[in-house]
Amino acid sequence: MMRITVTVNGQVYERDVPGHRTLLHFLRQDLGLTGSKEGCGAGECGACTVLLDGHSVNACLVLAPEVDGRCVETVEGQAKDGKLSTIQDAFNRNHAVQCGFCTSGMVMSVQDLLVRTPKPSDDDIKEAIEGNFCRCTGYLQIIEAVRDASGRTEGKGGLKHA
Amino acid sequence: MLHEFEFRAPRTRAELLGVLADHGGLAKLMAGGTDVIVNLRAGGIKPRVVVDVKQVEGYGALTWSDTDGLVIRPATTINDLLRMPGLRERFPLLVACAHDLASYQIRNRATVIGNIVNASPCADMAPALLCLDARAVIASQAGEHEVPMREFITGVKRTVLLPGEVLDRVVVPASSVGARGGYAKLKRISGHDLGLVAVAVHKHGGELRVAVGSAAPTPVLVSGLKETDDAATVVAAAQAAISPISDLRCTKEYREHMVGVYIRRLLREVA
Amino acid sequence: MLEDATPDTLKHVGGSPDRIEAAAKLTGQALYVSDMTLPGMLYAQVTKSPHARARIRGINTSKAEALPGVRAVLTGAELEYRIGLYVVDKYLLARGEVRHFGEAVAAVAADTLEIARRAADLIEVDYEVLPPVLNHMDALKDDAPLVHPDLGKYDHVSAVFTPIPGTNIANQSKLRKGDVEKGFAEAEWLIEREYTNPSVQHVPMETHVAIAQWKMGDEVDIWTSCQSPFAVRNLFCYTFRLPLTQVRVMVPHVGGAFGGKAGIHLEPLVACLSRKAGGRPVKFQATREEEFSLLPCRSALTYRIKTGVAADGKIIAQKMTMYWDAGAYADYAVNVTRASGYSAAGPYEVPNAWVDAYTVYTNKPYGTAYRGFGHVEFFWGLERHMELVAQVIGMDPLEFRRLNTLKPGSITLTGEKITPNTGNPTKCLDVVAESIGYGALTAEETAREKATGCKIGKGIAALHKAPAMPPFTSSSIVLKMNSDGTVVVNTGLTEIGQGANTSLAQVVAERLGFDLAKIRISPDKDTDRDPYDWQTVASKGLVLAGNAAILACDDLLAKAYEVAGQVLRAQPADMDHDGEKIFVRHHRDRAVTFAALAIGYAYPDGNAIGGPLIGVGRYIAQGLANLDKETGQGNCALDWTFGAHGVIVEVDPESGEYHVLKICSAFDVGKAVHAEILRGQAVGGMVQGLGTACCEGYIYDEQGHLLNPSFTDNKIPTARDLPDVIESVAVETPQLDGPFGARGVGEHPMISVAPAIGNAILRAVGCELTHMPMRAEDVWRAMNQAAPIDNWITKTPNKSCKK
Ligand SMILES: Cc1cc2nc3c(=O)[nH]c(=O)nc-3n(C[C@H](O)[C@H](O)[C@H](O)COP(=O)(O)OP(=O)(O)OC[C@H]3O[C@@H](n4cnc5c(N)ncnc54)[C@H](O)[C@@H]3O)c2cc1C
Ligand code: FES
Ligand code: FES
Repeated sequence: MMRITVTVNGQVYERDVPGHRTLLHFLRQDLGLTGSKEGCGAGECGACTVLLDGHSVNACLVLAPEVDGRCVETVEGQAKDGKLSTIQDAFNRNHAVQCGFCTSGMVMSVQDLLVRTPKPSDDDIKEAIEGNFCRCTGYLQIIEAVRDASGRTEGKGGLKHA
Repeated sequence: MLHEFEFRAPRTRAELLGVLADHGGLAKLMAGGTDVIVNLRAGGIKPRVVVDVKQVEGYGALTWSDTDGLVIRPATTINDLLRMPGLRERFPLLVACAHDLASYQIRNRATVIGNIVNASPCADMAPALLCLDARAVIASQAGEHEVPMREFITGVKRTVLLPGEVLDRVVVPASSVGARGGYAKLKRISGHDLGLVAVAVHKHGGELRVAVGSAAPTPVLVSGLKETDDAATVVAAAQAAISPISDLRCTKEYREHMVGVYIRRLLREVA
Repeated sequence: MLEDATPDTLKHVGGSPDRIEAAAKLTGQALYVSDMTLPGMLYAQVTKSPHARARIRGINTSKAEALPGVRAVLTGAELEYRIGLYVVDKYLLARGEVRHFGEAVAAVAADTLEIARRAADLIEVDYEVLPPVLNHMDALKDDAPLVHPDLGKYDHVSAVFTPIPGTNIANQSKLRKGDVEKGFAEAEWLIEREYTNPSVQHVPMETHVAIAQWKMGDEVDIWTSCQSPFAVRNLFCYTFRLPLTQVRVMVPHVGGAFGGKAGIHLEPLVACLSRKAGGRPVKFQATREEEFSLLPCRSALTYRIKTGVAADGKIIAQKMTMYWDAGAYADYAVNVTRASGYSAAGPYEVPNAWVDAYTVYTNKPYGTAYRGFGHVEFFWGLERHMELVAQVIGMDPLEFRRLNTLKPGSITLTGEKITPNTGNPTKCLDVVAESIGYGALTAEETAREKATGCKIGKGIAALHKAPAMPPFTSSSIVLKMNSDGTVVVNTGLTEIGQGANTSLAQVVAERLGFDLAKIRISPDKDTDRDPYDWQTVASKGLVLAGNAAILACDDLLAKAYEVAGQVLRAQPADMDHDGEKIFVRHHRDRAVTFAALAIGYAYPDGNAIGGPLIGVGRYIAQGLANLDKETGQGNCALDWTFGAHGVIVEVDPESGEYHVLKICSAFDVGKAVHAEILRGQAVGGMVQGLGTACCEGYIYDEQGHLLNPSFTDNKIPTARDLPDVIESVAVETPQLDGPFGARGVGEHPMISVAPAIGNAILRAVGCELTHMPMRAEDVWRAMNQAAPIDNWITKTPNKSCKK
């Protein structure tokens, strides 16, 4: 067991963790922050994406003791004062959520993207979320949501009627 | 879920080397953990101690100087490399390979050195580092020694490293600045995937080099070709150097064919 | 139930209101079973077979039992229960023999996941490895080992399914229409070919997970990530011979399902562990690797089609033989066989048809329902075949299809007559053809070919599907009005991402004339609270539950009007309502609010009338019947949804690498109830179809070990794999008995994506692909006439095309 102190979504937590505990397990089990999901446990799917000192990482591939003294942001930290964040709002408006299991990780990847590239191109968006699998949406409405969140409204498809 | 082990994060190189010396084969070094943790989860390795190299003082530095070249240390992630100002101008091939490695999140954690020590035949950083004449500086309690990158990887997941040793830094010499290069990687999808076969082409001062991944037990370097050589000659030289197999990702014949396709494509593209 | 409301009078249906549960999902507050822990909960792990087929000589669990923290250990020896949807052929844990790689042989429940894993690893199983039968075509041979020697003894639904004891055939479905041999004799052309595809994994992002607590007095609570709570409850009770009152199934948010969570899977085993552990709740969540082999996949298929075409290009006869690879257990595969059998000719009229469809056992992970229920698989062959037929007879493939599509007056394979309101496959084809500029390349496209050295091709493919469900399938809705005039909707239809809750809320709001904000529909489902719905499958949800919702609204309003009539001293005919109140039409001030009526109306002196307002709606499929077992004739279709995809691909002729430049998909949905949810289904399904088309599938070695049970070697499409341009079109030929004219479309977008791409590749580089997925290497091989690779363990296609 090791004692770690970590700031998650602005709150400080002190916990004893065994060396082999992953950050994902720590967040979900030890802190009860179950917003971050496990889709594979092997770095492939991105459902567990969180920000570690501002950079997106796969929480399933980080050991909890590694985050001692550092800052973690999860989807639970997005909404403030009872209001959805800009990204969450855009996802809602653009119907970028279906089953929702990829959503938390997706939102965190987009958060990282928009901080480093406030006006991303479609290629930037696709590259930023290629590590986040979504089996439901086919990604299109997610891409539209990211465009929207970055203030770009053109290119929205919409259903055509024949 | 991972099996139980002790976690250590030494703060100095001496401490790191001490931990390694104490635990011998029972310690596993970890940088970004993107290979190590995947392996731990699969039960492929069962170390007693996992030793994080990222906290070691000085291991986070990524430096460039005209005399020493580019020095990549154990905590340097792929994205650290991609974010380094001026790198694309100096080493376009290094950037191309780094850019094709895994997904953005993984690149935030995956290190250059971890990629090399993991020694997978498909390691994306290997082709660039081979072409650019990189050197590996190895440290242990006995001291430091240097090995050229082309001798570092010895087989599938095997390197020259001995228990107790750490790859302290990889140096890309300043003399490689000015080289032009390009990288092509065959994947099953357009999204992130391991290379089924990959080719790097490198042109520098009249010399042409080709490095091929996933087509032999180790990434293969073909050097000593000339920029003026025609495509057929280059392809023939590469084909002679590789020994691809058929596996679930694709067949030997297709790997051979695609090496040719990519060499011809890159020779056209890399002016 | 077609409402005669015209689009401009509709307030909710046809719009795109916010998804009801979006905020919960976006904030991470939505609770999935994988997020749940209960007090005292134990964690389960299983020991799995490393062999495709082996006799179990013995199992030693003593080391596992001795491990501190282990609370229950089970092997098949203790569990004499079999489960099965249609053929009851599967033990909860293997007994005597293991039948596929990854099958569970023992299970453990312990205080922590780590202890459970260690214990499961300590269980020693002594196997005698037996030669497996892996290829479903080999399994049909006389000397093939029998996967189920006891097949003759298994219970099965005999009105619908026909297992053949002494063989590996779990079911044979037949269809006979007209006289095929006579049709062939009259035909100008006979064209025959075989098409194949491997097993594929659904890949819901949330793997299967269940928590069960077997309490005192055989009361069982189950929380599960599943599609159909009532099916789980009923099958569970059947297995353990419990009355339906003893078992309660609860389904919170579900992280994707796609058919893989339609039946009953982990729940019985987890419940048995709980019982053994003295009633503590037990949780089991499959790892991604277990999702691939412990849990079911989609069946492989070999599809042989022989088509006779008349001189004018009309199909006059078609003989279709399907060999479905069930894997080790029948599960849904027997019903996939049946449903595909009666749809096997696609949206085309075939006057003389013959279908034999077999479900074949092999020693591989077993097949189940997967979005499209067989149609993705057989449409791969069928729509590649239509392309071939057109080529052979020298007709344009679009023209050939248009000539043969089902039209009003056409008779389907099962003898059903198409009406003007059945839907319009021809229009779907026309829409997509126009969108991709079907036919010759444009000047721009030709210039692009020149610049890139790549070849561009355009292809189309049609599709159709009716819900595969029993003829007596039903659904019900209960509406409960709260004392503030808002309404709670109870339904057993689960929300698995498809948007059922939001669409149902729209239907309810529309029919009641209320604001959407007044409608509450719970994200979770509970067999004790919610009224019956058969299953959340088959693209039947909106149609059946939507109709039930309309009837429930009518019932609620009738009850409200009855009380209001007394309060207002008015006749129902003189009253009307808005979102707030019921009023007298010619005297608008004489009104009573719904809030005042909701739990019973009280006069100022305290006298009261009425009572809580509850609306009940129930709907059962009308006029359907079991198909005749010998001829396949009968009415089986609740509704037919037709559709088509048009695709432009760009192929590198040197390497076989290709990329989809554009895809347009059109579906005759009757009525687009929620435009954006519909587009989400259309694009999501299309991309899932793209995965099936390009890269997904189970790869085995010769011993039957699954070689790619994870994302490392089983890739699914990412955001970078999208076609450059994606268009979704709704054709709206109203379904007369659909809610607001709507019909189902959840599965359809995935169907026929692969053959549209295959047809486009054919146009681009002239190579014939008869096996999917079409990897770059497969295209390269086909271009060079090299033998295809068969590491999927399906039959390599043999070409036989005669004129
Ligand atoms: C989803 C996913 C996708 C991937 N895609 C790709 C890809 O496209 N291309 C690719 O090449 N790789 C890929 N990888 C593999 C992996 O990400 C890379 O190899 C990465 O660069 C490894 O770096 P790391 O820092 O994570 O190494 P770690 O996992 O920490 O270590 C890797 C190996 O290096 C050893 N090691 C680390 N540092 C040192 C040191 N200083 N001295 C001695 N030994 C050391 C470790 O003991 C271990 O054996 C992928 C991995 C995942 C999980
Ligand atoms: S759970 Fe971490 S990447 Fe899939
Ligand atoms: S919404 Fe279901 S996986 Fe993305």
